[in-house]
Amino acid sequence: MNTKWLRKWGNPLFELCMIIAALITFIPIYYLIVTTFKTPDQATLFPLSLPTTFNFGNYAEAWSTMQYPRVFMNTLIVTVLSVLGIVLFSSMAAYALARRNHAFNRFLFYFFLAGMMVPFQMGLVNLYKLINALGLMDHLAAVTVVNIGTGSIIAIFLFHSFFLSSVPIELEEAAFIDGCSVFKTFWLIAFPLLKPVIATVVILSTLNVWNDFMNPLLFLQSRENNVILLEVFRNVGQFSVDWTSLFPMLLMGVAPLMIFYLAMQKYIIKGVAAGALKG
Amino acid sequence: MNTKMRLLKRELDYQILILPVLIFYLLFCVYPFFSTFYYSFTDYSNMKLDNLKFVGFDNFKGIFDSDLLTISIKNSIIYAILMTVFQTSLGLILAVFLDRKLKTKNILRSMFFLPAVFSPLIIGYLWSYIMSTSDFGLINRAVTALGFAKINFLGNPDLALYSVVGTQLWQWTGWAMVIFLANLQSIPKDLYEAAEIDGANSWGKFWRVTLPLMQPSVNVVSVTAIIGGLKVFDIIFALTEGGPGNSTQTIMTAYIKTVFTEGFYAKGAAFGVVFFIAVMIITMVMMSFLKKWGEQTR
Repeated sequence: MNTKWLRKWGNPLFELCMIIAALITFIPIYYLIVTTFKTPDQATLFPLSLPTTFNFGNYAEAWSTMQYPRVFMNTLIVTVLSVLGIVLFSSMAAYALARRNHAFNRFLFYFFLAGMMVPFQMGLVNLYKLINALGLMDHLAAVTVVNIGTGSIIAIFLFHSFFLSSVPIELEEAAFIDGCSVFKTFWLIAFPLLKPVIATVVILSTLNVWNDFMNPLLFLQSRENNVILLEVFRNVGQFSVDWTSLFPMLLMGVAPLMIFYLAMQKYIIKGVAAGALKG
Repeated sequence: MNTKMRLLKRELDYQILILPVLIFYLLFCVYPFFSTFYYSFTDYSNMKLDNLKFVGFDNFKGIFDSDLLTISIKNSIIYAILMTVFQTSLGLILAVFLDRKLKTKNILRSMFFLPAVFSPLIIGYLWSYIMSTSDFGLINRAVTALGFAKINFLGNPDLALYSVVGTQLWQWTGWAMVIFLANLQSIPKDLYEAAEIDGANSWGKFWRVTLPLMQPSVNVVSVTAIIGGLKVFDIIFALTEGGPGNSTQTIMTAYIKTVFTEGFYAKGAAFGVVFFIAVMIITMVMMSFLKKWGEQTR
């Protein structure tokens, strides 16, 4: 009797528990979203209720205070250039390391891999000096080049294992016989075969670069050149009391990635899992 | 001769492909990292930028004399261990639960994973409101509605570090879950059937079949959790800025404070070296532990 009941209702009941757990997990995000439409009074009285009137004034204010279009463009430029650099340069290196597996390249490969273990942040002072000496201080390029340097490590590893496991060498050999150069072979034959792993690398690096706060904090100073997170950081002190004005800024800070996630969730979840288990 | 030249040229071309990323890596990772060792033995600070003197181990001694470092190392280790234990175990439980046949499992997975795409900085700001003791502190409103006294999550030095860990777990457990799920799906179903024929119940199947085969993902999740835990910065910066007192100061926040707020570059560099050694030791202990576990279950 008991087991029969459990067999019939056990699974739906279990599913209900999981739905409740997921909803509880979701409360902070829900809270963030609904608060942005409320006046301070509404928000204090009924923090979790749906907004009765939609007050878009908070957004208009946040949009102009943050100078949103500009900081969004800055973030986008840094992210696109960093991710492009990471994908292109690490796939090139991984190709050479996978196809020319002599002692020197094996050493190079482990030299790159070591970067995964090393906390590169311990070099921040000298990195700061270097960026200064290169004349890149307060320039988007500063954040971009550092991102390429640090973000390439895992990418090299992912591309390398993909070349060894899933890119057949025969096509490349045929191309060589036809007189193709190494560069042409890489670009025309090997690179297009990397699509699945490029997706993974793009997703992982986009998340890392977009959410990176430490590098912009150190290397970007003027308001002209800051990114979304820096703008949120600079406004928090000022608006900490006026919290219904702050919440739209927080939401606008996470909105681009939230939209990116909602549009591509299947690929993102797959990409993260693939990246972790192969890397 | 001609073919030899051609082979040499081809070899060279391959090495040229490696060059760009090598330059970025050397300049922006390796060089800053190694010069840190050098500066940690000098008296470099924003007061003294030229004519650096070698001061031997003075910076290192100075660190261990100051409370800031000892507290921050202790906090970082507590933080990293808690993150590793809870992220791994909670992520594993979630993954096993969501691996079952559920109608809503795709939506549920997406919901649990969602916080992981957000910036820790903004998550930190959001949660500082949710955990606050003022009118907009969501949790404390629930707590008082249930008739209990308010809890000062971030203002109480004994509690603040654990509040930060809680926030981070909310953010990253879904990340671990996704990695575990991918691993679970690669376990062949007939292994479970075989275990069932041998009379194993669901517990037995979990311990004998699932867990041993989950070793790759457990390794990945726990090693990244411990390294990430030691490097934590953004969320603490946003939630507590290391306070109250120094109760949530971690190695990274103490490092940034020493270097960029106080201008003690050399001391900061020594700090960095200690940080590096801590990460190395902990990672190695962790890996050897995981290796032993792997051998035992095989």
